[in-house]
Amino acid sequence: MTTMESSHGPGTRLYVAVWIGLLAIVGVEVALTYAGLAPGLLLMALLALAVLEAGLGLMFFMHLKYERRILFWSLIPALIFVLLMMNHLWRDASRMIQLHL
Amino acid sequence: MSESEMSLSMHHGAELEESPFGIQSKKLVMWLFIIADAATFGAILFGYGYLRAGSPNWSRPFAFMPTILNGMVMTAILLTSSLTMLFAVAAAQAGRRETSVRWLGLTTLLGIIFAALHLREWFKMFAEGWSTSANPLGGSVLFGGSFFSITGLHLLHVTAGVVALAVIAIGFRRGRFDAAHVETTGLYWHFVDLVWMFVFPLVYLMNAR
Repeated sequence: MTTMESSHGPGTRLYVAVWIGLLAIVGVEVALTYAGLAPGLLLMALLALAVLEAGLGLMFFMHLKYERRILFWSLIPALIFVLLMMNHLWRDASRMIQLHL
Repeated sequence: MSESEMSLSMHHGAELEESPFGIQSKKLVMWLFIIADAATFGAILFGYGYLRAGSPNWSRPFAFMPTILNGMVMTAILLTSSLTMLFAVAAAQAGRRETSVRWLGLTTLLGIIFAALHLREWFKMFAEGWSTSANPLGGSVLFGGSFFSITGLHLLHVTAGVVALAVIAIGFRRGRFDAAHVETTGLYWHFVDLVWMFVFPLVYLMNAR
C-alpha cells in the first residue's frame, strides 16, 4: 500500500451490519412519529436519530473513521459551527408568529 | 494511487511532499464540496424550520398510506444503493473491474427507482392541487414552497449522482477511470443518502397526520 492510499478498513459484514442498523433507525423514527409524542419532543428525537444515522454513514460508509484524524478535524467541526450559527434565526421566527403574518 | 501518479512519485519523489490528509486531491476536493453542500442543505432545512415555526396554520398533509410508506420504501432503496456502492468500491479496489461495474449498474438502477418514486409522489400532489404557491388544504402556502424546494434540491442531487455513476461505470469499464474515481463518486452518493436521512424525518415524518 502506498502512503497516499487510505486504509479501507471495514469488510462486507460490517457494511451489512451498519446498513441493517440504519434501516432499523428509520423504523424507529416512523414508530416514534405515531407514538403520540409532543411535537417538540418528537423533533428532538428525530433529529437525534438523524444525527446518529449521519454519524454512522460518515464513519463507516464514507470511511471517515479509517482516514487520518486531521481530515475529520479539518472538516466536521467547521460544518457543526456553521450549522450552530444558523440557530440565531429562531427568535425571529417566534416574532413572526406574534405578528400574525 | 493510479499508475500515472505512482510513476510521477517514483520520478519526482524527492520533490513532492505527501498530502497531510493522506488522500488524493480529487478525494479531498470531493470532501470539501460535501461540507459546502451540507451547509447548503443545512441552510435550506433551517429555512424550512423558520417558516414552519413562524406559520400558525402549517399543514400536516401526509397520511401513512401512501405517503409515509412510500417515503420508507424510498429510504430503504437509497440506503440499499449506498450498500451496493460500497460493494462497487471494494470490487474496484480489489481489481475486479467487471464486478465493480455490475455493482455500479445496480446502484444506478436503485437511484433511478428512487427518483421515479419521488416524481410519482410529486405528480400525485400536483394532481391534488399542491404547488409551490398553492395549498389545497387551506393552510399556509409556504408548505408547498418549502416541500418542493427541499425535495427538489435533493432530487437534483440524486439525478446528478445517477448521471455521474453511469459515466464513471462506463469509463471504468473502458479503463479510462480507476478505482479512485469510483471511490470519489461513492463519497458523493453516500452524501446524497445522508442528506435524505434528515429530509425524511424533518419534511415527511414531522408533517405526518
